[in-house]
Amino acid sequence: MAPQLTLQAPLALPPSEVPGYLNNLWSEGLLGSAGAATFTLLVWEPSWLQQQLIRTGRIDGPISGLLNEELLEAAREAIPACGLPCSTAPTATELAWALGQQPGEHTADDLRGQFVDRAISAHRPRRLITLAPTLAADKPLETLVAAYCPLPEERSGSEDACGDVVVLRGGMGALHQGLAMLQPLIEPDLPCWVWWNGSMDESPELLEALAVPPRRLVVDSSSGDPRRCLDLLVERIATGQAVNDLNWLRLRSWRESLAMAFDPPSRQSALDRVVQLDIDMEGHHPVKGLLLAAWIADRLGWHLQSSYWIPGDEGQQGIGAEFERNDGESVQVRLMPVPVGITKTHPGALVGLRLICAPPGQAPLCVILCSESGGCMRLEAGGAASMELAEEVVPLPNESEEMEMARLLGGGHDSTNPLLAAAAPLAAKLLPQ
Amino acid sequence: MGKRAIEMAHTLTNPLRVGLRQERVISPQCLVIFGASGDLTHRKLIPALFELFRQRRLPSEFAVLGCARRPWSDEEFRSRMAEALSEEVSQHQSAWSQFSACLFYEPVDLQQQQDVERLGTRLEAIDRLKATRGNRTFYLSVSPAFYGSGCRTLANAGLLKDPNRSRVVIEKPFGRDYGSAEQLNRIVQACGQEQQIFRIDHYLGKETVQNILVLRFANTIFEPIWNRNYIANVQITAAETVGVEERAGYYESSGALRDMVQNHLTQMLALTTMEAPGRFDPEAIRNEKAKVLQASRLANEEEPWKCCVRGQYSEGGSPAMPLTGYRAEPGVNPNSTTETYVAMKLFIDNWRWQGVPFYLRTGKRLPKRLSEVVLTFREAPVHLFDAAGGSPTANQLILRIQPDEGAGFVFEVKAPGSGMRSRPVDMHFSYDESFGEPSDEGYVRLLADAMLGDPTLFTRSDEVEAAWRLYTPLLELIEDAPWQLPIHPYEAGTWGPGAADNLMAEEGLMWRRP
Ligand SMILES: NC(=O)c1ccc[n+]([C@@H]2O[C@H](COP(=O)([O-])OP(=O)(O)OC[C@H]3O[C@@H](n4cnc5c(N)ncnc54)[C@H](OP(=O)(O)O)[C@@H]3O)[C@@H](O)[C@H]2O)c1
Repeated sequence: MAPQLTLQAPLALPPSEVPGYLNNLWSEGLLGSAGAATFTLLVWEPSWLQQQLIRTGRIDGPISGLLNEELLEAAREAIPACGLPCSTAPTATELAWALGQQPGEHTADDLRGQFVDRAISAHRPRRLITLAPTLAADKPLETLVAAYCPLPEERSGSEDACGDVVVLRGGMGALHQGLAMLQPLIEPDLPCWVWWNGSMDESPELLEALAVPPRRLVVDSSSGDPRRCLDLLVERIATGQAVNDLNWLRLRSWRESLAMAFDPPSRQSALDRVVQLDIDMEGHHPVKGLLLAAWIADRLGWHLQSSYWIPGDEGQQGIGAEFERNDGESVQVRLMPVPVGITKTHPGALVGLRLICAPPGQAPLCVILCSESGGCMRLEAGGAASMELAEEVVPLPNESEEMEMARLLGGGHDSTNPLLAAAAPLAAKLLPQ
Repeated sequence: MGKRAIEMAHTLTNPLRVGLRQERVISPQCLVIFGASGDLTHRKLIPALFELFRQRRLPSEFAVLGCARRPWSDEEFRSRMAEALSEEVSQHQSAWSQFSACLFYEPVDLQQQQDVERLGTRLEAIDRLKATRGNRTFYLSVSPAFYGSGCRTLANAGLLKDPNRSRVVIEKPFGRDYGSAEQLNRIVQACGQEQQIFRIDHYLGKETVQNILVLRFANTIFEPIWNRNYIANVQITAAETVGVEERAGYYESSGALRDMVQNHLTQMLALTTMEAPGRFDPEAIRNEKAKVLQASRLANEEEPWKCCVRGQYSEGGSPAMPLTGYRAEPGVNPNSTTETYVAMKLFIDNWRWQGVPFYLRTGKRLPKRLSEVVLTFREAPVHLFDAAGGSPTANQLILRIQPDEGAGFVFEVKAPGSGMRSRPVDMHFSYDESFGEPSDEGYVRLLADAMLGDPTLFTRSDEVEAAWRLYTPLLELIEDAPWQLPIHPYEAGTWGPGAADNLMAEEGLMWRRP
């Protein structure tokens, strides 16, 4: 689905006039429209990578806030050029930072907040508010507003749903100033989603200010320092706020494939007898792997005994842990970074998983899941010959962030998924200090 | 709705499955149930909704608005539902308290336009309260006499105006013959677009009925032999052990033909015999189902009594467990000529099925509760081996709809020992053994699909009409010359009247004894 531009050219207004302008807009007939009773979506959209790629002349503008193929390709090319290890994912925060050290003065139009993905517009947000920080820290605050209507072919029979779009753009200082005007723009009776579409370790005070409960928070724990990502997840979940993690959602096909391997009741008893779990992942961002391991441990009722760093190739560390099963036996868990040719979009993507069960009086069972894109030779090697082997290929989810976001907006996510709520604290404990 | 507790569905045995049902997400909406004080609502609909809630498949922006004539309050509706579901409620108290907070009630007489107008105002208030975005599903769980007029009042109140935001679910039965179904279709279609109308057929909510499609069209081995060249005959059975229970009033005016054959058995027939749709798309599937039903006919339309047998259970059982005969059941006319059993033979006039007989039977008070589709293949052209049973048993593919959901294949193997004798064996696939997952109750699936706006498992107007048209000669005969289609008594707890066996015996066939 191609993103679509707001139909109306956005209008630059002084911040003080924005609330009044929007109130007028809604009193003039929009109130009866279906968008009137939906939700507000507030997006933190720094798009540092896109901004830096444009500034250094690696791609052309405009700044849209969207991850497209061209951008990812330019980012992959920039990884070696910036002297980063080839296992760095294109969206890794290190890349945007390294690009920031390079010279360049290219500029482009900034259209952030004005592209509305159709998957999102189909839900007819009442208001889409975008916070768009600029590279230049001292830029004054600009506010843009536009009424928004879906394209005619998306509309249902009747005259229909419209919402509005508000963009706050400027340097970090200016955006902090702009916070004060945000509150009245958020309809108190409607659900509000805050999509933190940036690194989880930047601007903590801003995140704090935007993501107040009961607003529903959407983050991506593959972006930012792993410790900070996990701590923030745990802390937010503990407040009772609805927290959705795109990194966790991207694990969907892994969870499904693993569950599928144990659907036949004849295999289920083996789940009580797991002795070893290995997870291979790309690069050095372990959060995704930790969440998967924590989910398995939580579902199978294992108790964490210890976790520790394991030295790995090229100075990259793996993580080891020991769990105790309900019957007192121990389970060894290892998460290892493995070298890959081309990294996936997000840091810490999974390469493979191996679960070995040793049911008494039976041959051991070895379940191996491999990501579609790469082999998992490391996990297949060694010792599996004497076991009952079950191998599956995990399909790669092929969805944009916007599609994932649209799915959340579709409903049913007013509270943290209980599986994530259970896995996140355990994942945080699994990450060695 | 606040924080929801982890619901560990205790029936699940695979711990990795718990909570993974991230299926299609139901969009924010208000489900309006007409007939909220009735039997179906508390026995099926609310339990199904509560199940969906506990599986976290309902959005938080969701409300159920119960409507009926009696002047209940929201609170009264909630407490009555809690009473009706007391077992589930006591097991999941916190979930129930969250769920019941989205139950509302509005006294509405579906016959009164001003009541329905007032309903519109209440719905707007609920939209604001629960952010349900103006999406509505209207579920008509009222007497069939109100289906048409109910749709009309809803349409007149402007509640069906937006085809993307409003839909109507209509319970069974949809009409009582071709003429009344066609008339009802005309009325409801004047109230909204076909895409807004969801006609329920409970059988389509069953996992194994849906599996017929997957088995046929996700595998390459079946389709090449799924035709007249290889299949000798097909039997479709839906057997119940229960009698008429408390439904005598309804059943007396309906009978097995209307109650089971026209809808459920015919849906199984359509799924078993339809051509492959070009894509998995509701309209493509329903086009194929409608086409095959339009090509179906009674084996003898001129003399329908030759291809149909009606029966009625008489008393039976054992001295320890006597079973009452139908005519002695409470609420039943002692001279009733309503059939509780019907068996018939059909043909499908198309390239795939020309000449293959289809045998349908259903009945109450039969020895087993069971639904299945049995495809019997043609015999091997030459018998090379002695068969243990005299002649080799024809291959059979058995699709078990309920219970023991699964599929079986009967084929010949070498009997152990010296010599080259063959004997049949049974290869069995069981849902339970492979998945260990209890599949959703039919209403859970159907309610979810209706709220998702997915019509695949609902019958379209042309399907309903084709199904009624198929049985019109029988219905007319029962109406005009019932003596030509007499009621054969059969002892309760047996496999129906002997006359039903004659239907098949003509061709040297027998009903499968499951
Ligand atoms: N029960 C089952 O197992 C089952 C199975 C398959 C299909 N169905 C179908 O489902 C439908 C409902 O069945 P049921 O067994 O629940 O029937 P029921 O117990 O007789 O309930 C009928 C409901 O309709 C309400 N009602 C009657 N007149 C009304 C009016 N003018 N306006 C609004 N509400 C009105 C009644 O409440 P008030 O008196 O308060 O108005 C009551 O709540 C029927 O079409 C039936 O064929 C039922």
